[in-house]
Amino acid sequence: MSDQGVTMPRAVLSGLRRHEWLGLAAVLVLGIVAMAATQPAFLSTYNIYIMLTAFSLSVLIALSQMVILAIGQLNLSVGGLGGLAAVIFAGAMDVLGLPVPLAILAGLAVGLLGGLINGIVTWRTGLNAFIVTLATLSIFKGVNIGLTEAQPFYGIAEPVKWFGNARLGALPALLLVSGPVVILTGVILARTMFGRHLLAVGGNQQAAALSGVGVGRIIVLAHVASGGLAAMAGMLAVARLQLGQPTIGDDWLIVSFAAPVIGGAVLAGGHVSVIGTCLGVAIITLINNALVLLRVDPFAVQLLLGFLILFAVGLGRVRSGR
Amino acid sequence: MKRILTAAALLAGAGAAAPLAAQDTRVGVVPGGPHPYFAAWEDAAKDATAQLDLVAEYHVPAAWDLSQQNAMIESLVGQGFNAIAVFPGDASGTNATMSELKDFGIPSVAIGGCLQAPTPAEFCLGTDVYQSAYLGTKELIEAMGGSGNIVHLTGFLVDPNTSLRIDAVQKAADEVDGVEVIQVIADIDAPEPADEKINAFLAARGAEADGMISTAWVPSVVAATALRNLGDKRIRMVAIDHDQVVLDAIRDGFVDGTMLQNPYGQAYIGAYALDLVRGGCTVKPDAPFDTTAQTDMFIDSGTAFVDASAVDTYQDTMIAVTDEIMDGFKDTYMDCPE
Repeated sequence: MSDQGVTMPRAVLSGLRRHEWLGLAAVLVLGIVAMAATQPAFLSTYNIYIMLTAFSLSVLIALSQMVILAIGQLNLSVGGLGGLAAVIFAGAMDVLGLPVPLAILAGLAVGLLGGLINGIVTWRTGLNAFIVTLATLSIFKGVNIGLTEAQPFYGIAEPVKWFGNARLGALPALLLVSGPVVILTGVILARTMFGRHLLAVGGNQQAAALSGVGVGRIIVLAHVASGGLAAMAGMLAVARLQLGQPTIGDDWLIVSFAAPVIGGAVLAGGHVSVIGTCLGVAIITLINNALVLLRVDPFAVQLLLGFLILFAVGLGRVRSGR
Repeated sequence: MKRILTAAALLAGAGAAAPLAAQDTRVGVVPGGPHPYFAAWEDAAKDATAQLDLVAEYHVPAAWDLSQQNAMIESLVGQGFNAIAVFPGDASGTNATMSELKDFGIPSVAIGGCLQAPTPAEFCLGTDVYQSAYLGTKELIEAMGGSGNIVHLTGFLVDPNTSLRIDAVQKAADEVDGVEVIQVIADIDAPEPADEKINAFLAARGAEADGMISTAWVPSVVAATALRNLGDKRIRMVAIDHDQVVLDAIRDGFVDGTMLQNPYGQAYIGAYALDLVRGGCTVKPDAPFDTTAQTDMFIDSGTAFVDASAVDTYQDTMIAVTDEIMDGFKDTYMDCPE
C-alpha cells in the first residue's frame, strides 16, 4: 500500500518530466481559472472566440519561427515575408481581380519563394541566418512598400471577408486553417524522416552530415516551410482585418520568438515542441486578453506583459522539473 | 554624416549665400516612414509643383527608422533638393540633421509632427492634437446624448502626442457630468494588436461602453470594422483621419464622424513657406505662433469634424482649411524683402 502511494506520485512526476509542456498547461489552466473567477465576461462565447481568433493567427507566426529554431537558426524576416504575402494576396484580388484560389496561390507562392531565397542564401553563403534574414526583412518590406506605397488594398473578396469573421459558437473559421497546420507540423516533426533530419541538423550539423543527412537540403526546406507558414498567417490577417494593410507583420517579431521559447524550444537548435509552442501562444493570448479585461493602465501594459511572460516561462520550467 | 552632407550640398550648389530665384526651389517632402496618413502629402507635393513656382517631391523612407530617414534626406540633398519638409523621425534626433542642413543653407520645416525646441527648423505646421482629441470627444459626447461611458483607443505611447490625446479626452469627459472614460487602450496603431485588443474589449466590456473615441489611424479602421461586424450602432464612435473604411462606416451609420486632420495642407503650405524662405523671406519673430510642449513656433494646420452629411466632400473640406491658412500666411508669418 505504502509502496503504491510512493510509486504513483513518482509516476506522475516522471510523466511531468517527460512532457515538459504539462507545466505550461498548468500555468494556462491557472490563468484561465483566475480570470474566470474574477472576470465573469472572460468565459463569454464572444471573448473565447476573440482569443481563439488571435490564437489562430499567432500560432502560425510562432510555428514559422519554430521550424527555423529547430535547425538552430533565427528568422527575423517572418513578419516581413508574411506582410508581403498579405499584400500580394490582397493586391491580387483588388488590383488584378484574381479569383480567391489564385490569390491564395499567389500569396503562398510569395511566402515559399521568400523562404527559398532565405534558405539558399543562408546555405550557399554560409552566412548566419540572423544576418541573411535581417537583410531580407528589409528587402521584403521594401517590396511591400514599393508595391503599396503604404496604402492598404481595400478590395478584398467577400468570401475572404466572410471567412475571416465566420464562427461556430466560440470557434472561429480561422481554426480550419491553423488547426490542421498545427497537427500536420506536429506529425511531420514527430513521425517523418524530414522532421527527424530537421532536429538532427539543429542538434549537431556536422554529426547530421556524417550520418548522411543532406544538411543543405534540410536548411533550405526549413526556410521554405517557414515562409509558407508566414504567408498563411499573413493571408489570415487579411481575412480577419478585411483589408490588405501594408503594416501587417510589423508586430510579429516578439510573439514569433516568445511562444516557441516559452514552449521549450532550444535556441541552439535540435529541440522544439509543437504542443509547447501552442501553449506558449495560448499563454501570450491569455495575458493580452487579461491586460485589457483588467483595465491595466496603458503605461504599465508593456512592463506587465514582459514580467508575466517571464513568470509563465519560469513557472512552466519549475513545474516540469527542469 | 556631415561629410556626406557637405559633398551633397556642394553638388547641389545649395551653399550659395545669395537668395536664389524662387523657381530654383526643390522641396523634398519626407515622412517618418510609410503610413497611409501621408498619402495626401504626395498629392500636395504634385499640386504645389503644378500651382506654385517650385518643385516638390514626396519621398518615403522604407521603414520608421531615424537612420533610414536621415539617409533618405542625405540622398535627396545629393540629388539637388535644397529645402526639406519633414515629419521628424525623432523629435530630438532629427534636429541634428536639420542643423547640418541649415549650415549649408538648406531650410527645413517640421510638418505633421514637431521638432523639440531649440530647433533649426523654421517652424512646425501640424495638427493641434490636443484640440483635435478634445473636440472629437465633445462631438462623441453629443452623439451619446450627453452622458455615458467612453473608451479611448489610441496610438503608440512612445509618441509624445499620445499623452496629449489621453489628457484631452479626459478633460473633455471631466467637463460633463455623467461622462466617464472607463478605459484607455493604447499601443494599438498596428493592425493585429488593434484587432485583438479592441475586440477583446468589446467582447468583455462592450456592454458597459456607450462611446468610442479613436485618436489614431489603425484603431479607427479596426474599431469601425468591428462595429460593422457586430452590427452595433448602439455604441457611438468618433474616429480620426480619412481611411476609406472609416468613411464607409460613417456613410453606413456605424461611426458618427471623424476628426479630419489636414495632411494635404501641411505639405502644400510647408513647400510654399520653404520657397518663401529660399526667396529671402524670414520668419517673423513676433508672428502669432502657438506654443506646444515641443515648440513655441507651432502653426495649427487645422482640424475639422466630418459626419455623414459632409463625408462625400471631405477633400473639399481639407482644401478649404488649407486655403484659409494660405490666405494671409505670408503677411502673418513671414518678413519678405520688397
